Amino acid sequence: MMKKTTVLQVCVAFVFCSPQAVIASADDCPDPDTGGTSCTISLEKLLDRAVQHAELIYRVSEESKLLFEEMLDSFGGVNLHVPSGTMCAPKTVSMSKNEIQQISDKWILHSVLILIQFWTDPLADLQASLENNENASSALLNRSKWMSTKLRSLEQGVLVLVRQILGEAGLLSEDPEETFDHIISSDIESVRRGYSVLYCFRKDAHKIETFLKLLKCRQIDKDNCSLF
Amino acid sequence: MAYSLSLSLLYLGFLCGNGLVSARGSELFVPDPNRGPHFTGCRSREQETFRCWWSAGTFQNLTEPGALRVFYQTKNALSTSEWQECPDYTRTVENECYFNKTFTHIWISYCVHLRSVPQNITYDENCFTVENIVHPDPPIGLNWTLLNASRSGLHFDILVRWAPPPSADVQMGWMKLMYQVQYRVRNTSQWEMLDLVSGTEQSIYGLLSDKEYEVCVRCTMSAFKNFGEFSDSIIVHVAQIPSKESTFPMTLVLIFGVIGVMILLVLLIFSQQQSRLMVIFLPPIPAPKIKGIDPELLKNGKLDQLNSLLSSQDIFKPDFNHEDLWVEFIQLDIDDPAEKIDGSDTQHLLGLSRSGSSRVLNFKSDDDSGRASCYDPEIPDPEDMASLLPGHSGWGEQHPLVSRSSSSIPDLGVQQTSEVVETPVQTQPAVPSWVNMDFYAQVSDFTPAGGVVLSPGQLNGSPEKKKEEENEKKIQFQLLSDGAYTSENTARQLSADVPPSPGPEQGYQSFPSVAVEGNLWNGEYLVCASDSQTPYLLPEAPPVPILPPVSDYTVVQEVDAQHSFLLNPPSSQPTVCSHSPNKHLPAMPTMPMGYLTPDLLGNLTP
Repeated sequence: MMKKTTVLQVCVAFVFCSPQAVIASADDCPDPDTGGTSCTISLEKLLDRAVQHAELIYRVSEESKLLFEEMLDSFGGVNLHVPSGTMCAPKTVSMSKNEIQQISDKWILHSVLILIQFWTDPLADLQASLENNENASSALLNRSKWMSTKLRSLEQGVLVLVRQILGEAGLLSEDPEETFDHIISSDIESVRRGYSVLYCFRKDAHKIETFLKLLKCRQIDKDNCSLF
Repeated sequence: MAYSLSLSLLYLGFLCGNGLVSARGSELFVPDPNRGPHFTGCRSREQETFRCWWSAGTFQNLTEPGALRVFYQTKNALSTSEWQECPDYTRTVENECYFNKTFTHIWISYCVHLRSVPQNITYDENCFTVENIVHPDPPIGLNWTLLNASRSGLHFDILVRWAPPPSADVQMGWMKLMYQVQYRVRNTSQWEMLDLVSGTEQSIYGLLSDKEYEVCVRCTMSAFKNFGEFSDSIIVHVAQIPSKESTFPMTLVLIFGVIGVMILLVLLIFSQQQSRLMVIFLPPIPAPKIKGIDPELLKNGKLDQLNSLLSSQDIFKPDFNHEDLWVEFIQLDIDDPAEKIDGSDTQHLLGLSRSGSSRVLNFKSDDDSGRASCYDPEIPDPEDMASLLPGHSGWGEQHPLVSRSSSSIPDLGVQQTSEVVETPVQTQPAVPSWVNMDFYAQVSDFTPAGGVVLSPGQLNGSPEKKKEEENEKKIQFQLLSDGAYTSENTARQLSADVPPSPGPEQGYQSFPSVAVEGNLWNGEYLVCASDSQTPYLLPEAPPVPILPPVSDYTVVQEVDAQHSFLLNPPSSQPTVCSHSPNKHLPAMPTMPMGYLTPDLLGNLTP
């Protein structure tokens, strides 16, 4: 019957096409390791996704910090005065808005990438320490896990952006950064360290968010971003 | 003075709420009078510049400008800068240090010191990062629109819209703002705070009509705790829809109530008259209609009537016609007398037994050939005549001679019989003429009972003759077909009617020949029949006799070899048939007055 054949054809087409569609979405911006071709997703969408990622990461880091503070309050009044900038990323560049506006896209992307790569390990350590700590709430644990995951995906997105905006030559050779000090002496130390990690990470997350926003504005809405 | 002025300005700013932000790390604006010189607060409005304020506190001697100075220092992970003095002491505002864009760096921490330079005393210190002290400006352009109002008109929903503060660079994404709306009934103290929204609009549900509301909005940086100040409040007021609606349902309720009560009254009144009520509300269900049939009959179910009715409806017909078909099928055709039917006496019997329709039966026999040759086809069949006789309903039930014997009057009998036989004879066109009726007792009439009325015969008159001949013939037919024996008395009677004739054949009768079963005819017949092959005495279907004119009586002169009586043939003999050689029979002895028994017959035979 005609109807049956058409239905069959549709089904076959769907079966054949759907995995392609799925694969296509994954291979639209292939893994940098594989050295895939250029991304089929538009730059606007990529930047949108990157900015969303950064915003969410920053918000979650803020919430995690607050949760951690609550936990520490219950822990018994630990002095949490964190010396500003002790645990924060060494290559944190402070600049005014003007200076930031004047920096190039290349610099922005590089900075973002460096920051992301810097914070991958400390967040993993924080996760481990929180799992060991019985006082840690499940919300805090979930958020730390989530942050680690999202940071990794953001890294991939930024790499794609680098490839798209700066081209293949844009990738710098990776500078070996000062590795994070993994030595944990005591519980209190681990707590302190955890708090400092969250504190600094929150800052850097905000930085990443700002940079990516600026980049997006420059790439897409050039007129309005050239103010100041 | 200036101090109080600034304070009052600050209080004005808090019209739309408490305005006191007690976030950690943020500075309070209200100076503490019990303290010495201290910072009252550092704020940034747009994350691009910030300001710091201080107060002398209890140290009134340090209120002159320049007595206290602000120094700041920036620290990042790598280095710490030098102490620098406030880049800009605001002229218009007292005790304010303004850091412009070039001096404002985000993501680094600042420390400001309040120092009295002559004494080299640091009275207060404040360390922060700029993004943490950002308090955005209030949104602008707050307005509201009516979403919808409830049916009752008591509640309504509004949509409140605003624009982000112009100082905040939201477009570039430098600042991501979240907004918060609050409202209250005018001149009340309790504010209704709504959740943070990232967009620039918010809908408020469930506001009461005829009440004035104050609505205002404030904003904050996303994921930061510091809220800006509330915007100027707007007044929301929706006038209640006039009270028509509230009364409208009441009137409707009244009307419907009255109508309902009236209906109930009507029902009550009519319920008294049950039948009318039932008719109105429950009309009778139409019964199944079959034409001509009363549904009551169906219910009561008298089967006979029903059957009769149904039969009249052609619904089912009893099979009446089968017998008629049978009957019609069997019906015989008598139009052609020459026609021969295969049936024998049995068929005639069958035909005779039938009532009604089979009146016209053909007694045509499986004839002798002699008949065909000898006789006029127009001679009426004796069977036909016989069938028409009334006595024929039953075969041999009643034969006319017997009835006649009962009747004492031979004339009557004859008359009776003659009557009956006359009718069939009339149908027959040709009647054989009796020529000589001298030796015969002329039958003048037939009784209705079948008897023969004899009278002295006169042959000369032709019409009379004919009639007499007819009568004679009738008698012959009847007697012969009946196959009845003539009793002695009857024979005597018959013979008595015969006029005396000199002939010795007085005692003779042709009738005794009748005693033989079947269909003996008069002498003429017998004479001619000698030619035929079949014996005359056989009781089979007699042929139509052609009777030549003979005298009243004929004496049986001889019996031929075929056991046939040979009579004196008269002079005129119209028959065509060849005559068998007449054997000369011996003279017949005087016949006894009785039956010609077979014994006697045997005597006659040579």
